[in-house]
Amino acid sequence: MAEMDKIIEEQRELNANKKTNKKEDEIEIAKALTFFIEDRTYGVEIDYVNEIIAVPHITVIPGVPYYIKGVINVRSKVVPVVDVRSRFGIPEREYDDKTCTLIIEYRDIQVGIIVDTVREVLSITKAAKADIPALEKVNDNKFIQYILETKDGIKMILDVKKLIFDDDFDMRLGGEEE
Amino acid sequence: MAKVEAGMEGMVDMYLFETTTLIDQLDEVLLRTEQANEFTEDDINEVFRIMHTVKGSSAMMGFENLQKLAHKGEDMFFIIREDPSKMKDIGFVYDLVFQMSDLFKAEIEEIRDNPDGDPTDFSEMIAKLENGAKILKGELEADQLDAAPAEAPAPAESKEESAPAPAPAAAAAGGAGNSVIRVFFEQESKMENLRAFLLLGKIKEVCDVIDWSPRDVETNPDTCTKIQEEGFLVTVHKDDEAVAIKAVEESVNVDTYEIVKPDGAEEKPAAAAPAEEKPAASAAAPAAAKPAASAAAPAKKTEKPAANAGNAGGGGGGKQSLISVNLIKLDQLHDIVGEIITTESMVVSNPELDGLKLESFQKAARDLRKLTDELQDTVMSIRMVPLVGPFQKMHRIVRDMKQKLGKDVELILEGEDTEVDKSIVDNLNDPLMHLVRNCMDHGIEDDVNERLEHGKPAKGTIKLSAMSSSGEVIITISDDGGGIDTDKVLRKAEEQGLLTRPMNEYSEREINNMIMLPGFSTNTEVTEYSGRGVGMDVVKKNIEKSGGSVFVESKRHEGSSFIIKIPLTLAIIAGMEVRVGDIIFTVPISAIKQSFKIKNDQIIYDTQGNEMIMIRGECYPILKLYDKYALKTEITDFEQGILILVEADGKSVCLFADRLVGEQQVVVKPFPSYLSRYNLKGEGLSGCSIMGDGSISLIIDVNSIIDKQ
Repeated sequence: MAEMDKIIEEQRELNANKKTNKKEDEIEIAKALTFFIEDRTYGVEIDYVNEIIAVPHITVIPGVPYYIKGVINVRSKVVPVVDVRSRFGIPEREYDDKTCTLIIEYRDIQVGIIVDTVREVLSITKAAKADIPALEKVNDNKFIQYILETKDGIKMILDVKKLIFDDDFDMRLGGEEE
Repeated sequence: MAKVEAGMEGMVDMYLFETTTLIDQLDEVLLRTEQANEFTEDDINEVFRIMHTVKGSSAMMGFENLQKLAHKGEDMFFIIREDPSKMKDIGFVYDLVFQMSDLFKAEIEEIRDNPDGDPTDFSEMIAKLENGAKILKGELEADQLDAAPAEAPAPAESKEESAPAPAPAAAAAGGAGNSVIRVFFEQESKMENLRAFLLLGKIKEVCDVIDWSPRDVETNPDTCTKIQEEGFLVTVHKDDEAVAIKAVEESVNVDTYEIVKPDGAEEKPAAAAPAEEKPAASAAAPAAAKPAASAAAPAKKTEKPAANAGNAGGGGGGKQSLISVNLIKLDQLHDIVGEIITTESMVVSNPELDGLKLESFQKAARDLRKLTDELQDTVMSIRMVPLVGPFQKMHRIVRDMKQKLGKDVELILEGEDTEVDKSIVDNLNDPLMHLVRNCMDHGIEDDVNERLEHGKPAKGTIKLSAMSSSGEVIITISDDGGGIDTDKVLRKAEEQGLLTRPMNEYSEREINNMIMLPGFSTNTEVTEYSGRGVGMDVVKKNIEKSGGSVFVESKRHEGSSFIIKIPLTLAIIAGMEVRVGDIIFTVPISAIKQSFKIKNDQIIYDTQGNEMIMIRGECYPILKLYDKYALKTEITDFEQGILILVEADGKSVCLFADRLVGEQQVVVKPFPSYLSRYNLKGEGLSGCSIMGDGSISLIIDVNSIIDKQ
């Protein structure tokens, strides 16, 4: 997590330099792309999102966890896709024309994540950002990095790393870094 | 001080490549001569030339330590060349030079891995080489090799005395601002004086010639011998050097050429031994890449003309028809070709074209297909390199181990000019080394009497052979040693808890291949070379990484063979597309024996209800792909689908699929790294590929799908 914070810190400084005339709390430190799962709004920081596409034909891969739906062809690249619903343990539903695949890039690894609908792009300011201690007991909080208070409600910003990797993989990745 | 001087970084790769090649060549020559127990003049000249080139390029790069080392080695061979009679008792020279080449290799690796490190100090080795030179000159006794270095750097002096500048006029003219080109003509070209005169005319066409030597080439036929021996020297202005060289390169009959350094620092290898039969052969342009150089140097070298010709690819004679390219660029080119092939089928078999009459489009599409096929073949062939490199290295390993283990062994190479993809050659080095070591250590009997008892010659043989057959390279490493003791292996495997079935259920073949299980070692003692139980499983893993397989064949007291099968190229395979539900699988054509429809009454069931089928008197298990991969399909009745008989490593299975889609060249893509933590290979899949319509097919790994049975 320390590393994540560092990245955000850097991002914040970068943006701060660009828009120095704003008050520090009001400065946009990042942008989030929000989307619906069931009736709740989640988001990911937009820096991780490469592109948004419809759900293409998915080739099933055997021997992988239930939430990895298979691989898709994104401009001649083979990209695995993760269904966010099944990742959260929410019952899956048929993909329709509103269903979207966000192509996420995390440390050179590309993964598609399938969400119900894409909603909007939000500014993240320091003032709006809040940690998630209160949510600790909630079932799906392990994917949540922080929450965002906006005029029309609370959005949960997801931790991309935890969303696409399993816990055991977390450790290995961490081990490589140190 | 950093090893690599600022501003030289760009040259380092080139230097490392060239020097590595030269040092490998040096090893090769030494091994050959040591085996033949004879140093011919050509060999001496070649060693001298290699040292000289290494010295020159090291100096250019500012690697002083390497330059000095090469210089001392050169000194030693200078003495030998001056007086070949000193070659009698020179076992120590081999050892010295081998030590030196090892140091070179180590330092080159250092420079590659750690370019900012300090240069290694070679003074100890340099002292040894100096002593070696003195022993050759008779100034020291043979056993004083490690004696403290004497003060006078005698060898260097003696060389200067005995090598007078051959063409004072030219050398003098080659002062500041001028550069002197020394040209040698081909051995058999005759009338060198006229050829020199013609060349002079050519150069005069492109730039001004300040001086040349011998001056009277046009009128005096006697200059022939001089040109043969010392070369033809042309002095041009420094700025004209490039154009002049171009003219030299372009003219016929020119064998090699070199730029003589204006300050006269350059030794003149050709001139130093005027009595030699073929002095021209000893000089080679230092800039010439390996193949050209090796073709130019020992003109009489008949051992491997095929290999050299293959390397040179028609180039030779000092003309630079070869360029070296960064492998990354080739990989990029290769990827692009892969994309082009995929995109081409996307265009040509676009569903929107269905039902349209497009005569000229179809013709253009056919032409395009032909061209992309050619493009693909060409790109593939660029990446193909002969196996000579990794094979030759084994000589060295056998030599060293022979001495250490006290076994008399001969290494025979066969088919080393077989070409395979560069990336595969790189992955072959380690496995080959392990296997050859294994043959030396475990294969060949420790006791010569044991060999004689079983009617074998006292001298052991290790054979390394390569051949290509239907898209695969088969490399065999075999020895005529004791073979694998199956009882011992089985006992050992049991001790180490590697058995999963009762002991008597294992076939001989299975037992032999147990030696490649991780952690297995029959050696009771750990030796310098093997016995730690790592090695054989590493070999297996490395080879599997290149998409290949390895297995062992062995007969007690007759010897054992390790057989490696590797696909020629990894990237593009001919595949049969088969459909199961809405998933397409690609089965490598090379593995398919036949495909056929069957009637339900042909199916045989075993006691567990597994389906099998009888074809030409043999019984094959049926593997239902929809069942294995839990896919939804409407075709579960054998009569509606199709069976594909596939074979790998002598084992076969029938795959059951819905239908065949068609044959296609597919670009193999590895699974995304995100999925690498799941054992997809174990699921019988080796990768995926993007098909013409943009969907993804899964490539079946026939080997592992059979093993899973």
